[in-house]
Amino acid sequence: MENTYDVIIIGGGATGAGVARDCSLRGIKALLLERSDISTGATGRNHGLLHSGARYAVTDGESAEECIRENMILRKIAAHCVEETDGLFISLPEDGLEYQSVFVEACRRAGIRAEVLDPEEAKRLEPAANPALIGAVRVPDGAVDPFRLTSSNILDAKAHGAEIRTYTEVKELIREQDRIVGVKAYDHRAHREETFYAQVVVNAGGIWGHGIAAKVGITINMLPAKGALLIFGHRVNQMVLNRCRKPADADILVPGDTISLIGTTSSKVPYDQIDNMVITPEEVDILLREGEKLSPQLAYTRILRAYAGVRPLVASDDDPSGRTVSRGIVLLDHAQRDGLEGFITITGGKLMTYRLMAEWATDLVCRKLGIHQSCRTAELPLPGSVESREEVEKKNRRKPVAQRRSAISRHGDLAARIADRNSIQNSLVCECEEVSIGEVEYALENLSVNNLVDLRRRTRVGMGTCQGELCACRAAGLMGKKDPVCAKKAKADLVSFLNERWKGMAPIAWGDTLRESEYTTWVYESVCGLSDETEKTTVQ
Amino acid sequence: MKFDTVIIGGGLAGMVCGIRLAEAGERCAIVSQGQSALHFSSGSFDLLSRMPDGTPVSDPMVGVAELERIAPEHPYARIGAERCDRYARQVPAFLREAGLPVTGEDRRNHFRITPMGKSKATWLTLEGYLRTEAPGQFPFRQVCIVNVEGFLDFYPEFVAEEFRKYDITCRFGTINFPDLEQIRQNPSEMRSANIARVFDHERNLEALAAKIREVAADCEAVILPAIIGLNRDDAFAVLQSKVDKPLYLLPTLPPSIPGIKAQQALQARFRALGGEYFLGDTVLSGELENGRVKQIYTANQGNIPFQADHFVLATGSFFSKGLVATPDRIVEPVFGADTVFTSDRSTWYTLHFFDRQNYQAFGLRTDAELRVMKEGVALENLYGIGAGLSGFHPVQEGCGAGVSLLSAFYVAETILNSRKS
Repeated sequence: MENTYDVIIIGGGATGAGVARDCSLRGIKALLLERSDISTGATGRNHGLLHSGARYAVTDGESAEECIRENMILRKIAAHCVEETDGLFISLPEDGLEYQSVFVEACRRAGIRAEVLDPEEAKRLEPAANPALIGAVRVPDGAVDPFRLTSSNILDAKAHGAEIRTYTEVKELIREQDRIVGVKAYDHRAHREETFYAQVVVNAGGIWGHGIAAKVGITINMLPAKGALLIFGHRVNQMVLNRCRKPADADILVPGDTISLIGTTSSKVPYDQIDNMVITPEEVDILLREGEKLSPQLAYTRILRAYAGVRPLVASDDDPSGRTVSRGIVLLDHAQRDGLEGFITITGGKLMTYRLMAEWATDLVCRKLGIHQSCRTAELPLPGSVESREEVEKKNRRKPVAQRRSAISRHGDLAARIADRNSIQNSLVCECEEVSIGEVEYALENLSVNNLVDLRRRTRVGMGTCQGELCACRAAGLMGKKDPVCAKKAKADLVSFLNERWKGMAPIAWGDTLRESEYTTWVYESVCGLSDETEKTTVQ
Repeated sequence: MKFDTVIIGGGLAGMVCGIRLAEAGERCAIVSQGQSALHFSSGSFDLLSRMPDGTPVSDPMVGVAELERIAPEHPYARIGAERCDRYARQVPAFLREAGLPVTGEDRRNHFRITPMGKSKATWLTLEGYLRTEAPGQFPFRQVCIVNVEGFLDFYPEFVAEEFRKYDITCRFGTINFPDLEQIRQNPSEMRSANIARVFDHERNLEALAAKIREVAADCEAVILPAIIGLNRDDAFAVLQSKVDKPLYLLPTLPPSIPGIKAQQALQARFRALGGEYFLGDTVLSGELENGRVKQIYTANQGNIPFQADHFVLATGSFFSKGLVATPDRIVEPVFGADTVFTSDRSTWYTLHFFDRQNYQAFGLRTDAELRVMKEGVALENLYGIGAGLSGFHPVQEGCGAGVSLLSAFYVAETILNSRKS
């Protein structure tokens, strides 16, 4: 029957994408529904830290062990999403060294390599670290690109038969007696409601999963904890920098691609505010003040954006900081828990354990469907990480050096699919991030791009120091060209792209950021005349 | 070094002020860092397109008179409606004299067409650029929009989408040839100025004309992005003479060819009048004495100061670093002059990008004669002009170029009057 599947997965974050991949690899017919674009929730709004687990070693040994196991798996299966930087846990004079020995012992217990370094050696390894440090421990932390990771899972799920529907929001779970048999969802692009049926519905909605379960009267007591982060305009540090103390605000500095990220703050937010994250001046101040202690040069490094995510933690007590709750994985079989068959929730956990979470959820789905297939996601490399680096370089040798390097880092072995036959395809749309016309066209054709912000996630167009100054316009032009009927939409899209971007810049809009904003206003409002468009939309 | 007047900043305001003074025989110097807001010019000069509340303005002078009443902090109100009117009448001839052939009426806005096809009210437009008396009143019913293949800073599809609203039939013509392929070898080079350099060659301009004739064979008129005439003034005329139908230019995203041309033309005019233009130099500090600027120091001249009877601060706003925002205040970096701003940063802007943002009206605190204030007192011989002034929204009100032009005229006149007395 049309619109009928074995399993429906709600949520296109890393976990949902992981479940879709795992199910598809085990021959289960899966449909994934996501109300927005993939990885727009907590998946896309965190440090991008490939945790070694060291951070949790002292407080949560179980999470630490999960982390280090998954860390090692991701290095193998998702090599193109991972940067093996290692990390330092530094002790400053105000921290003392007592915590260090407790920390190292806990790491070793959890199976995490933890090497105590001489302070001079640490400063030599990471010149950006605060020179006042009195101790440092080296651990196998790294950087992971959450978008690429999710996108790869989605690509592989699709390749194995899964159907992925973005911009399709689940409005209702269809209940027949004590069973969930499907969902009603609204397609925001086609502007129509659709019904889908399946034997099992998996709630992988992250913090929004609370609201999904509530639709059928099930309470999952989640604790929405907002975490704000700042992105810096260039890569300050080469290794991940942590403070060697009890986890606190703004004590992780992660390098990734061309930038560095400091985070996070932690504050409890009301559940009705999870779609409305505003970064306050106080949060910016805390991040800068604490960040400078990790690396003093942050004081004079340009900030690109501020943003915040909501941790999908399952509350176990009333801790207002949201830090002492377990980061453990929570798998709920609502048949057992609430007497409602055909519905499960996978939540808690963290980006690092998305694969394990997907494995647990898929194991349960298999039990419910009576399928005896074991999980292979820990061994099978993800699309993009299948071929060797040498092989990939060889296949992309027609691309100019900069475009080649960037395309390979973003798409791994899939970079070979980016057209590079002529100079036009190799021309740059975005100079900061070295995105070629070929890459934009590849994304438009293969990666389910619906708007400029989607395109930015897939190609990094507009993510560099200029934050989409001119490249947004150029990309909108290419989108309009691909489908002339959509020229109008592309223009409106440009307006929402600029609004989106401004939201991240406003909290830090002084210095060069304000300069850049003024320039953008001149170019888009004055030269291009885009303000009129917005005025019309406001009136409507 | 001793001058009658030293102008800090070589954008539109600074150069216009310098030319006005030099025309009257003043010995002037302009110290300029280099790139100014002219590099992203639209090919038009706005005077006043909207009132502060967003109401469209058709007669800028009626609007200016109204501003005098409702917005006393606005530079036009400071200058005074009567003077604004007088200066505005002189501007077109002034620009033409400087080699910038503009068209437009002093008492009626017309419409320029943007790289995205939008119609925006404006005051003066350079010859060759498409302009209409009212939105949609195009001089053709059917047009061929030509672009260079792979040039991403101009949007034929978007232009067509706007034109179709007025039942204009649009065709697209794409142009490519070997000399363009050359610049494509470096993938970030497909920008307006590099393309224009190709068309500065007679042979390529010929070839362009031939291609246009070919792609626009059965069209009434031709639209071309502003990618010609960087180093030759006759490029448009030559091209028009070789294309057998009306040709219109539209501006592109930066770098703006009309803007670069305007910069060059004004600079040449200033030098021809005997002005001294110090390009690529930065003013580091100013020395005050008895409520006056005594001298200024620059990066290139080191400990040799610039001395003058009068100084003009034409350093622009944030983009040009005439104003610098720190997390809690707005600083004028040369003299530490007083600035107008709100102290709580959260009131500087809203979260919607296209809203009227308060920070855009921040700037220099001046007295009625546009003399710059420091610690609450006007410095006797330091005047502020252009984008660095406070009290106006250049983009929202469509008055950026006008404020630069008229404040430059006003301060030049004030300085010249002080000579007489």
